[in-house]
Amino acid sequence: MAFLNACELKKNGVSKKMNIQVNLEEIDNNLTGFIRGEIDAHTAPVLREKLEAYQNQDGLKAVLDLSDVDYMDSTGLGVFVAFYKSVNAKGGHVKLKGLSSRLKRLFDITGLGEIMDIESAGKGGN
Amino acid sequence: MSNQSSVEILTEWDIVAARQLGRNVAKELGFGTVDQARITTAISELARNIYLYAGQGRIEIQQLTENGLKGILIIAADQGPGIPDIRKVMEDGFSTSGGLGAGLPGVKRLMDEFRIETIPGEGTDIRATKWLR
Amino acid sequence: MVQKIENQYKEILNQYMQRQSEQNLYVGQNFSRQLISENISPEEVISVHKAAMQEIYGELPEFVWHSFDFLIEMMINYGLALQERQSLLQRQEELRVEMDLAANVQETLLKTPMPALAGLDIGLLSIPARKMNGDYIYFISDSEGHAGIAVADVIGKGLPAALCMSMVKFGMDSLNNSPADPKEVLGVINRVVEKSIDDSMFVSMFYGKYDSNDSTLTYGSAGHEPAILYRAKSNSFEELYAKGLLLGVSPAASYEQHTVQLEKDDLVIMMTDGVTEGRTDEGFIEREVIFELIDQKKDEPAQRIVQFVYDELERMQNAELRDDFTLVIYKKV
Repeated sequence: MAFLNACELKKNGVSKKMNIQVNLEEIDNNLTGFIRGEIDAHTAPVLREKLEAYQNQDGLKAVLDLSDVDYMDSTGLGVFVAFYKSVNAKGGHVKLKGLSSRLKRLFDITGLGEIMDIESAGKGGN
Repeated sequence: MSNQSSVEILTEWDIVAARQLGRNVAKELGFGTVDQARITTAISELARNIYLYAGQGRIEIQQLTENGLKGILIIAADQGPGIPDIRKVMEDGFSTSGGLGAGLPGVKRLMDEFRIETIPGEGTDIRATKWLR
Repeated sequence: MVQKIENQYKEILNQYMQRQSEQNLYVGQNFSRQLISENISPEEVISVHKAAMQEIYGELPEFVWHSFDFLIEMMINYGLALQERQSLLQRQEELRVEMDLAANVQETLLKTPMPALAGLDIGLLSIPARKMNGDYIYFISDSEGHAGIAVADVIGKGLPAALCMSMVKFGMDSLNNSPADPKEVLGVINRVVEKSIDDSMFVSMFYGKYDSNDSTLTYGSAGHEPAILYRAKSNSFEELYAKGLLLGVSPAASYEQHTVQLEKDDLVIMMTDGVTEGRTDEGFIEREVIFELIDQKKDEPAQRIVQFVYDELERMQNAELRDDFTLVIYKKV
């Protein structure tokens, strides 16, 4: 079930661990995801590739939990925007939950918080 | 003037036969050990390409004499799918990065002259020459 | 030439075979460097070695000579790998030259004349993390005392970001209207960008229109890092926030705008997230750090403040710039 992704990146001769884990599980068009680590220019392609596998399903309901994401930059934001746009175009819905205050600010500043369904950490949950 | 002989490539063992044929001719012409190794490596690569991508084909070895120069010509011909993008397969790093070996750029480097003709859906004809110095 | 190398090799080998000293090995190492610079392939080296052994020792068991022939076969592919490496190095150099040219073209293309307005001192710095810049500043001004500034940041960096940036420039050029309101400018550029780029690309942009007749700044933002206003009178910082979606996400996006009145020695600090998203070994650089830096130099000319902030942030991050860095300061004088 788990899609562990800890690729070794060789950079300047020093081996550097790619710090992202993406777990996705789909049952009856309901996609539940848990993302852990940092989403930046290095790790964003990993996330994009995993999400792309689902984004063209009709009426997909996706809930992605970002409560263990400690860092995200604009490249990461780009991945979520692309996913959101494709899923929306197919009549589906994307919800992002567990956003830290830093992530919440990123969504608010970019105006994406207004159009996407996002939920900060500490609210909702079970 | 030319002398020719050829090997049909159907199985991996035929690659060895093609090498052997090439080595015999190269030796007979007077190529040194290093050039013999280069010529047989080139034959290997071409025969392997036929075996892997066309399924079957033929390696032909000719002795050449031109303006007093002696040389060896390798012809690799098949009726396979052809190569859709020659530029790509002739690019450095394309075949080696996939672990496929020296590839066609390697063959070109090992030999003195290299010519390739390919028609998608009809087959490929590669000719490579090395001159005795 | 081959003859010369063969003789030299035989000599060096012979010396070593007699004494096996470190000195002999050192001579050998230097000779191998010369072989590489003369493009002598590994299989040729072995062949030279075999010939030298034959000359020095004459008779040796057959299996020794066979082993050299085998080694020659083994080295053919290494020789090819070496040649491939040389050709790839050459290609890399060609690409480097091409990138340098492209960066020059970009610099010329994106050049923007800084407006000279009564009562306004402008400081500006834009440093790409790589060769091509994904940040962009665009000025537009007229003789009536209006000056517009766009500070834009394309997602990502390098070549793709730079290509996308040209589109923003041509969008701004086509507007060519210095008294235009920020909400109109952002609306137009949004439609230009939305039509032309793919789903995961977008641009954030701050647009400010300064009117030197009444010293007001009207600003709007398309998902951009808020500008900061420093009030000299109260010695305090506030964010200039305006609601608005990133450019290129939705054609229907609409933009807010607000106006502030600038007083003497007030500062407007506009930037991209390369300034605020800096990271040190201890963690992120908080906005307060930037406030403090500005506070230290607030009495100096705008360009000096900008340079100081950059130098200090660069120092904190051990000179490792992760993202394009752009900082503009307007100082009311």
